[in-house]
Amino acid sequence: MSDVPQLLDREAEEEYEIESTEGGLWTGSRLFVGAVTMAWSAVAFAYFYLRAIDRSGQWDPHHLTPPPVIGTLIALCVLLGAFMLEYGRHQLRRGLHFEWLTAAWLTALFGAIAGGFQIWQLTRLPFYPGEYGYTSVFIGFAPLNVAMILGGAYWAETIAARSIRLRAEVGPDMHLGESEHAAARHLRASLAGCNFYWWFMVLASLLFWILFYVVD
Amino acid sequence: MSHMEQPSERPGDGIDPRGPNVPHFARLFAIWLLATAIVEPVLYFLVWPHIPPGTMTDAARGAQFDALVLTMTAAPVVIAVLEYYLYAMIVWHQKKGEPPEDGPPIWGHVGIQAGWIAITSAIVMGAFVFGTYELINTSGAGGGEGPSPIWTPAATKNMLTVQVIGQQWLWTYRYPQFGGFETPDLILPNHTKIAFHVTSLDVIHDFWAYQLGVKADANPNVDNVAFATTNETGRFTVRCDELCGIWHGAMYNYGYIVSPTAFYKWATSTEKKLAPLTKTLPKFAWTYNPSANGAGGGYYPSTDPFYEVYKYEYGSSGREGNLPAVHIKSFGWKPSQAGAHHVRER
Amino acid sequence: MTATTMELGAGTTGYRPTATRLAHPWFSLNVITAFLGAAAGYGIGHWIGNYIASNYAVVQSTGQNNVAVVLALFFGVLGFIVGIGGLNYPILKMFGYQPEERAPVEDWTKYFRFSTDHKVVGKQYLVGVIGMFFIGGLFAMAIRTELTNPTTHFFAPDIYLQIVSEHGTIMMMMATSLVVGPLGNFLIPLMIGSRRMAFPRLEAISFWIFLCGLMVILTALPLGGFDTGWTGYAPLQTEAAPGMDAYLVGFGTIGTGMILNGFNQIVTIVNYRAPGMRWSRLPIFVWSMLATSFLLTLATPVLFVAGWFGVLDRTAQTAFYVNTHGGSSYLWENLFWFFGHPEVYIMAIPGFGLVGEMLPVFTRKPLFAYRVGAAGMFGVALLSFFVWQHHLFVSGINPDMRPVFMLTTELISIPTGFIYLIGMGTLWRAKIRFTVPMMFCLAMYFNFLIGGITGVYNSDVPVDVTIHGSFFVMAHFHYTIMGGLLFAFFGAVYYYTPLLTGKMLNNTLAKIHFWWMFIAFNFTFFPLFIVGFLGMPRRVFEYAPRLQVLNDWASASAYMLGMSFLVFAVNFVWSVWVDPKPAPANPWQSLGLEWQLPAYKMPWYNFERLPIILSDPYHYGEREALPVAHLQGVLALAGAGAGGGLAPVGAVGPDPGPEISPPRGEAEREDPRPE
Repeated sequence: MSDVPQLLDREAEEEYEIESTEGGLWTGSRLFVGAVTMAWSAVAFAYFYLRAIDRSGQWDPHHLTPPPVIGTLIALCVLLGAFMLEYGRHQLRRGLHFEWLTAAWLTALFGAIAGGFQIWQLTRLPFYPGEYGYTSVFIGFAPLNVAMILGGAYWAETIAARSIRLRAEVGPDMHLGESEHAAARHLRASLAGCNFYWWFMVLASLLFWILFYVVD
Repeated sequence: MSHMEQPSERPGDGIDPRGPNVPHFARLFAIWLLATAIVEPVLYFLVWPHIPPGTMTDAARGAQFDALVLTMTAAPVVIAVLEYYLYAMIVWHQKKGEPPEDGPPIWGHVGIQAGWIAITSAIVMGAFVFGTYELINTSGAGGGEGPSPIWTPAATKNMLTVQVIGQQWLWTYRYPQFGGFETPDLILPNHTKIAFHVTSLDVIHDFWAYQLGVKADANPNVDNVAFATTNETGRFTVRCDELCGIWHGAMYNYGYIVSPTAFYKWATSTEKKLAPLTKTLPKFAWTYNPSANGAGGGYYPSTDPFYEVYKYEYGSSGREGNLPAVHIKSFGWKPSQAGAHHVRER
Repeated sequence: MTATTMELGAGTTGYRPTATRLAHPWFSLNVITAFLGAAAGYGIGHWIGNYIASNYAVVQSTGQNNVAVVLALFFGVLGFIVGIGGLNYPILKMFGYQPEERAPVEDWTKYFRFSTDHKVVGKQYLVGVIGMFFIGGLFAMAIRTELTNPTTHFFAPDIYLQIVSEHGTIMMMMATSLVVGPLGNFLIPLMIGSRRMAFPRLEAISFWIFLCGLMVILTALPLGGFDTGWTGYAPLQTEAAPGMDAYLVGFGTIGTGMILNGFNQIVTIVNYRAPGMRWSRLPIFVWSMLATSFLLTLATPVLFVAGWFGVLDRTAQTAFYVNTHGGSSYLWENLFWFFGHPEVYIMAIPGFGLVGEMLPVFTRKPLFAYRVGAAGMFGVALLSFFVWQHHLFVSGINPDMRPVFMLTTELISIPTGFIYLIGMGTLWRAKIRFTVPMMFCLAMYFNFLIGGITGVYNSDVPVDVTIHGSFFVMAHFHYTIMGGLLFAFFGAVYYYTPLLTGKMLNNTLAKIHFWWMFIAFNFTFFPLFIVGFLGMPRRVFEYAPRLQVLNDWASASAYMLGMSFLVFAVNFVWSVWVDPKPAPANPWQSLGLEWQLPAYKMPWYNFERLPIILSDPYHYGEREALPVAHLQGVLALAGAGAGGGLAPVGAVGPDPGPEISPPRGEAEREDPRPE
């Protein structure tokens, strides 16, 4: 049995485990998006189902809609946040730490603003929650939207905070975008997942923006 | 894992002292054939007539025949599997007192795997085709088909329409062809096509006329139609089959299939007898609104800005004919000032 | 063991002392502070709810403030999680701190803390699910008591429905985590050669959330219960008592735990396999966990949203399930069953996996058609998303879709049949050892055969018109879930107790338990097929007097069935705590990697050195087979099963086990050996 592969040495073991964690963050972010997609599918299903069966014309007879300007602002904030994160990731790779941090904080800020707008919109509704099918679905959608957006903001915020602390601990010369330091690699993997999630949020926001504000 | 495809080349194969030459398969097949040959006629001749729900309607008869076919298909499968397990437990176990040893390393067998998949697929497809045929052939097999049924009896000329109304915790029946009178008695004529229009006034019930082989959910605001053609006179049970609140267990009564003449006599006399009462009932409709707001009587109207509208259109209590939403529009409702600018115009 | 290797994923930085670490153990966060947090949260939530909604017209007219109840339960759960320490890390993370991977507290209090050791979480889950199962079982006893007489009642009808609903809901929730929780968390890293789960904090939180879900469901009773059964159909749901809020919040809570648990397991299986653990070498149980976890992660969000809509209907007065306001009661039925049917397979697939894992050990043969078995599990998982309307064959929706759903439902029996193919193929010319786990496996095949075949009756629309919603359906799913999953689970408990506890369960009591449970189970549920076919609907407290004999028979057998679990409980308590018998190393002569560890008391990082996986763990009967893994610097158990010198057939055998060299770094740790 001489052809049996030998054990990894300690460094290789460490490398293997770091790669596992990186891969885990990749898989995890995709899977998380999958789970959120299923939740959104349920909301979209409710939208289309109630719209399609429309018992006794009670889906949306008066074409009520929540304040569309606020709704558009929410979607725009999400879009800006995603762009910011993409931009920040680019700067991180180039080693421009200040630019990266600014972009990351802005992403978190845009997320917080979008979530805040969504909550504010809920206080400005021209309808009663159970008035029609449409209004019900909107009331069901909005708090979930707040949770999704604030979740994304939280994620971006933790990465930004982490990169500050990491440089404080390791040293200000650390190039987070290229460092082979385990923590930096995890940070990049987490950032990639977060970025992916933000673009998914853009997609979801766009879809529901069309459903709630554009489609009659 | 390439070794799956080449079982015979694995080292250690054939360590079974009884050797691979014992005709296990032939034995198993013989036992299976014998058992099946005994069980199948028993099922066909002795069990079939007793399979519920009987033969009072064509739907019931169809369900009975379907259950027989499924049972006769399943029996050989069950026999084969159980026989195999018993055989394995008896023949292929570690004997007491013998030194413990391992079995032959058989990783798979392409032929057996393919055959297994082919056979199970064939059985499943057969069950599907047969089930679909039975479903369509008996006009939906007595199951509720919703407001616009797609499998209907061929000729609907002499069909009797019975509206089944569920409410907590009572069944009542309306006969629209006899002036729409409403009664807690379910009387049906023999040798007649029946269309059951099942609906509910509050929560979801389920109309289960057991011996008729009819079952349809009673949903509020839904007209759920099921068909059956009566074959025999006699009594049948009606039970609620969907949990509908605390007295669900007590929500049952009986119905009768009688001769067409007896039915006609009963129906016309009841129509006459109940005429004053029928006048006070809501006009016959396929569904009714107990209040304007479905479940929870009074739950929504209290804070509903449109309550006055609904009260005007539907009445605040009691059952009213179901008016389409067009009426609300024609009422000339204007959105509140606050939200007016959000209302899109077509 | 160097410190750097232990800080997996943490790198060398990021360690910060936390409150838990600094404080004295008695003042640190544990289950007591969790309950204090829950109580505080409950009070705060209730106060907020009253503040918001007490002037609502609907609250004033009905005297029922669902907003307060929902918020109280939600904040109660949140308070519990805060109190156990589950939010410490998510909050620290906002300040840039990194998780700290360190050895857990090494005394018994670790079981009452927020432990991130997957082995501790597995044991916590084990006690949790068994406790939940016993609670649900007591409700079942009450149901059977009521049904001993068709007209004389032990319970008022509303109490009876509360019992039925609690039984159904608790059992459904318990069964979703029955295997994934304890055995999945405990075994998966050991089977795939990983030192950890991917997200240990998510794993820990999933357990405590699971526990919260159980408590929330039980709070329904003091809130007046809910009378909708576990399916919670609207509009009954919308108009039910405040207990209904507990049902909805409880399902949401436990659903969150299910999502997190499944999520964690998928990522672990995909990314944390040891070098050499190719997909083709994955133990079949891991395959089953993977399939189950995909269902957990992707189907449960739909339930979550459906419950969220229900909560809104009851609190914010939306009208999702109210027909007259543009909603539809069908919406709940669709969403619920879109989750509900995958959920059924969440409960079936782990049983298949366990049986597939144990059969080779006790037949001393490789698993027959391994790939077909794995494919079968994924086939079942995939198809289960496309069958939900078979629960609604008579509901009046989509009559044109009935043949389609009949087809998909019947198609699912093909991949399910694969489980029989691998079972029967493995038994072919085997050397069966009739140990207790093996007997449970064989019983699972027997029960599931009946459960599966009767499932085909349910899928056939014409027959389903008669048996839909009757006791036939009830018996069918008890045969698949209890007869399938629970038998496999108890087999696995006997099989894995040595690994989990280092103790051997008493074999005689185990055999008594098996036969008692097997006979009582079949005596209980087989007559209920007939009862259902003869016209008895589910969830009734009155039935036709002609059915009394069968019902009484079922009730008497159900009591016996209930008592059989006492044998198990006595055995477990006796053999593990009162009079423990140390288990011999690898008592079943399994080739599985999880049995090859040098001692039952493993370090929290499981493997001293990362194992190099050399083959799948099913090479029984091959004298020259490679060992399953390169482990600890020695080749693990080359062909352990083959040949003589093994323990006699039976649960307890004084088998010295193969030579094991002590792990390196022995001196650096506390004694890893069992006492």
